[in-house]
Amino acid sequence: MNRSVSRTVWTVLMLVSLVAGATAGASLSEFEQALQAVPVSNLGYILSSIELGMTQPGFPADGLLRLIDRVTRRTAPAFEKEAVLLVIAHGLADGLPVEGLVNQALEGLARGVSLQWIEQRLSERLVLLSETRDLLYSKGIFSGSQGSSSAATPAIPTARFNQLLINISETIGDFLEGGGSPFDGYVLYEEVRNRLTMLEGVTLSADDVALVLDRIEPSDLTQVALAAVS
Amino acid sequence: MKDDAFEALLRDTLAADVATSRERLMNLEERVISELADRRPRLRWFQWLAQLLAPTRSGRVGQVVVVGATAAVFLFLGVALSDRLPARDVGARLSLEPVRSADGTQDVLFVLPALDAENVAVVGSFNAWEGTALSDSDGDGIWTASIPLSPGRYEYAFIIDGRWWGQDPLADEYIQSFGEYSSVRYIGRGGDGA
Repeated sequence: MNRSVSRTVWTVLMLVSLVAGATAGASLSEFEQALQAVPVSNLGYILSSIELGMTQPGFPADGLLRLIDRVTRRTAPAFEKEAVLLVIAHGLADGLPVEGLVNQALEGLARGVSLQWIEQRLSERLVLLSETRDLLYSKGIFSGSQGSSSAATPAIPTARFNQLLINISETIGDFLEGGGSPFDGYVLYEEVRNRLTMLEGVTLSADDVALVLDRIEPSDLTQVALAAVS
Repeated sequence: MKDDAFEALLRDTLAADVATSRERLMNLEERVISELADRRPRLRWFQWLAQLLAPTRSGRVGQVVVVGATAAVFLFLGVALSDRLPARDVGARLSLEPVRSADGTQDVLFVLPALDAENVAVVGSFNAWEGTALSDSDGDGIWTASIPLSPGRYEYAFIIDGRWWGQDPLADEYIQSFGEYSSVRYIGRGGDGA
């Protein structure tokens, strides 16, 4: 009887520790271990970027670990694998949200397209993220960690700001990849308006959507799109 | 003289022994059968069924009658009840309405007709582009999977026997991705992924 009770307790403890281990966020040492398996020559830079990204809301730890693992398993020269990871590292180092980049890289790997194509697409999307952030800043829309909050220059909490950033830049990226012209500013504006409106009250705040749509103009989006294709 | 006495004694002893044994051997066969019957192990349902269906010389006709009668009863019940099933029961199984949980997660149904397919899966931003298998349990060529998703925007595509198919008729929109189509669903508003 005692033996069966202790066996049950032991089993429960093992299960609890397994679940706790599985649900805990990935640590920097896990990333280091995964990156060494690629292998990469800029390990220090990529790791420090990841460490910086881990402090940001929405950091896709599991997705990034999965991406490193799949890149490692891909049969390709090591420098091509590292190039994909470096684009994401650049984004993290620049304080940009990389959830979308990680997702697109995973999609490209699943589709079996070349690593160069994936790297090229990620690089374009990284430019779009950066340019869109600059656009929002220029319109007086900042994230919580930037500047002081006022009616003229509202500071949106970082997680909400990043959601705006991701959705605007991805809409522009999808528009261009679908064959849209950067000069069709009005069409592009409608695309952005549709996307933001669809996510209003879902993953985007209605106030944030109204603020962005009030302040940006079609010509602004053309400028962002041109930066990506040039 | 001594020999005669010994033979008589031996004969009497044997006779007494035979008389005692005869009592013990009386109805021995019946008693053995009875005891074995008492010790018969309890059969599980499938053993009972197997025994019932096992071909024997004596029981074949009876078995055929039992199985035939059972099949007839089920056939009759199936035919009689098929017309009386309420339509909503059928609809509920294939409902495209998402089922919401308290944390906002919804069970979103992915449906794809693929008549000659052997394997169908859905990949997307919700499963890190790793296939979630669709099933076609009734073999009618309509493949389905219900996946719990939190509110948001999801890109996805189906993989039919290794071929990507990105134009789901139930999608809210389509985008070009790596030169191919991907479907998009918005969960939690408007289309609700339906």
